[in-house]
Amino acid sequence: MAELTADSLHAAAAHNDHGHISEEEHNNNMKLGVWLYLASEIVIFSIMIVGYIIFRINEKDIVAQAHDELGVALVTANTFVLLASSFFMVMGLRAMQQGNRNGMLRWIGLTALGGIVFLGGQYIEYSELAHLGIVLGFDDASAWSTFGMRFYAPTFFHGAHVFVGVLWALEVMRRGAKGRYDNNPIGIEMFGLYWHFVDVVWIMLFTLIYLV
Amino acid sequence: MADATHHEGGHHSNTVSLLGREITVEGGIYTVVFGALAVLTVIEVVSAEFLKGAIHDAPSAAATLQAIKAILLLGIAIIKSSLVIWFYMHLREEKPLIAIVILLPLLVASLSIMFLLAIPPLGYSI
Repeated sequence: MAELTADSLHAAAAHNDHGHISEEEHNNNMKLGVWLYLASEIVIFSIMIVGYIIFRINEKDIVAQAHDELGVALVTANTFVLLASSFFMVMGLRAMQQGNRNGMLRWIGLTALGGIVFLGGQYIEYSELAHLGIVLGFDDASAWSTFGMRFYAPTFFHGAHVFVGVLWALEVMRRGAKGRYDNNPIGIEMFGLYWHFVDVVWIMLFTLIYLV
Repeated sequence: MADATHHEGGHHSNTVSLLGREITVEGGIYTVVFGALAVLTVIEVVSAEFLKGAIHDAPSAAATLQAIKAILLLGIAIIKSSLVIWFYMHLREEKPLIAIVILLPLLVASLSIMFLLAIPPLGYSI
């Protein structure tokens, strides 16, 4: 029985090796893989978000004080930048699907630029908060430290995702410039799923951490 | 936004039907969605600042106003997220399996969060 299973697996692999999986099937498999990865990311971000929510419920005064210190001007501008980059991303995919490689490179380039500007804004924000004493610390005696832990963990983790996204965008541009996506833009679509997911996470973090 | 539909040409069309009116704009539905996201973000920030002032001015109604603020802002955030997932991530064009893949962890995470929030002492020792 085990031999039969091994044989059938081998036969299936050979079947695949001969290109019997259609491009549509291949694309669907690739997209399913990305969606499954994003599903796992939901769990990770949920843990950080619930950590913040519990802190928010129990430490109302500290959060209110933090909101006053944080302000919303810079982070709102940053939110618009990230929303715009998501728009640029989907326009890049659209351009490639229409056979417009240069258009795709332009839009994906703008996407990467949006990510870089967002990270720059986050750096400015972190610098200002550090001056106020809101740091990443484990000192229970400092209320700011306990807030810092809950604040920096999700926002920095998100920022790390943006950084990876920028690198991925540059790689998509490099491959795209060589014509890699001329016949099948699945690579752009996969990157797009990741980038839009990062945008969705920020939409929730922006509301939960800065506004509520 | 709910009845936004495409014309011929699918997501490559520049013309969309929105609330019974035809709109032609470069980028079609994607541009319309971006406009909606921008407007909703402005509404969100203005509402948050307005309610923050109201809570400060009326401490006796702070709990009620805070609850209204949380529900309103989270509602807008969920609408914004849904727009991105539905239109930009093309969930509307995917098979139901993809929706299950993404909705199942969301459901589990939401239930877990609600469970954690239902435990009164949780977080008090922070």
